[in-house]
Amino acid sequence: MEDVSQPSPGISKVVSRMHGSTIGQKALMAVSGVLLIAFSFGHMAGHLQMFVGPEPYNAYAHFLQSLGGIKWAIRFGLVALTILHIFSAFQLTMRNRAARPIAYASNKWLAASIGAKTMRASGGIVLFFILYHILHFTVLLVGTAGFPPEDTYKLANGLMVDDVYRRMVISFQNPALALGYVFGVGLLALHLSHGIQSALQTLGALNSTYRPLVKRVGPALAGLLFAGFASVPLAVLTGCIK
Amino acid sequence: MNLTLKIWRQKDKATPGKFETYEAKDISPDMSFLEMLDVVSERAQAQGQEPCAFDHDCREGICGMCSLVINGVPHGPEAATTTCQLHMRKFKDGDNIVIEPWRASAFPVLRDLVVDRTAFDRIQQKGGFVSVNTGGTPDGNAIPVSKLEADLAMDAASCIGCGACVAACKNASAMLFVAAKVSQYAHLPQGQAERSRRVLAMMEQHDVEGFGSCTNFGECEAVCPKEISVRVIAEMNRDYLRATLVGTDP
Ligand code: SF4
Ligand code: FES
Repeated sequence: MEDVSQPSPGISKVVSRMHGSTIGQKALMAVSGVLLIAFSFGHMAGHLQMFVGPEPYNAYAHFLQSLGGIKWAIRFGLVALTILHIFSAFQLTMRNRAARPIAYASNKWLAASIGAKTMRASGGIVLFFILYHILHFTVLLVGTAGFPPEDTYKLANGLMVDDVYRRMVISFQNPALALGYVFGVGLLALHLSHGIQSALQTLGALNSTYRPLVKRVGPALAGLLFAGFASVPLAVLTGCIK
Repeated sequence: MNLTLKIWRQKDKATPGKFETYEAKDISPDMSFLEMLDVVSERAQAQGQEPCAFDHDCREGICGMCSLVINGVPHGPEAATTTCQLHMRKFKDGDNIVIEPWRASAFPVLRDLVVDRTAFDRIQQKGGFVSVNTGGTPDGNAIPVSKLEADLAMDAASCIGCGACVAACKNASAMLFVAAKVSQYAHLPQGQAERSRRVLAMMEQHDVEGFGSCTNFGECEAVCPKEISVRVIAEMNRDYLRATLVGTDP
């Protein structure tokens, strides 16, 4: 057998195999996806503090803003992961299209889930949703109608901080924005209902023992993320959070 | 029973093909799908038309030679069954049946429903074997293999190389086939010496042949006549990544 593995691969070989082979590219897509999911869960957990009240939520938001260099490192990392995720998806899609130049006249799906079949569409829309979300709450460029000009909040310790809580409430009292956000995170959940198990399979984490479990855990985690994210706009919209 | 067949006809690799419609009258429900095509071809020939070319050999479901995408499903509607073992009683009188070749750029159509699957042979030649130096025959049970591992190896080894997994995959990926061939050795002691180089070499050839990449939809597993599980793909991914990042063979 031709020996392509020995001696020890060497870093340039590792890089070329990871980015030049189908399994390598898929692994990059899976790893970037898993890291972005991990961020999403942290983000979601932070937002649940909206249910506790303005004090802890604004204090938490202020803490994140005060991280300085770490904050920027995380932001930069998230952008890099997103680009990596999209870039590998794009390259693999191009390859896959070329692999079947003539389509079937009749085509029947036997196993693929709805989440699987809509990966590209859901991923694309979620990207635009995230861009809007950043322009909305981070850059304060869109959807800011009704934000008070003097939106500071006095913490219990006397510190004046941004009233992020108020901005959230004002935004989600607008039904179009609230339902738009629910729709956005709904598509994210749809994307992950296939994405989580697909990533684990790609990384070789599934053997016959764990596969049936993960097939259910993937959609369940996606559902959990949806419930956590969607609860905030819905609670504001229905007046549970004011 | 009477059927209407829409069959892909293509003169050769270079000529574009098209569908042609055939009426298949008085077909016995006890015929296999290939016997039905034999009859249709014979009748066409009797009328001076070119018979339709399709692949077949054992007609026992063991060689992997037969193919055909039947109404959108490779090997037809019955699960875990090759086209040669599919019987006409699975269809209804008056059915319309669309018959197409495997569609993949790595499996070019040679004629009508016959595709060139030598890409699989080239992948196999890269590492679908264990290198054995000459010498005395080892004792039968000298190397212990647990029942569980032997079963996993045997399950993977039941792949007949038909290519239905490629045909069913929306990306025309051959991952299920390659993974079956890799996994059968990964579970046996004899396969360990070349484990890393095998998976790297075979996957490299997979990519060179122009097969697509796996998106884990599971369509391959659903059509595989030998019910190879996508478990083998997870195992191969793990082996490939390990071989890439750290691995060399002992
Ligand atoms: S894995 Fe199944 S479908 Fe694919 S070539 Fe082997 S037997 Fe055929
Ligand atoms: S002809 Fe041999 S498997 Fe169908």
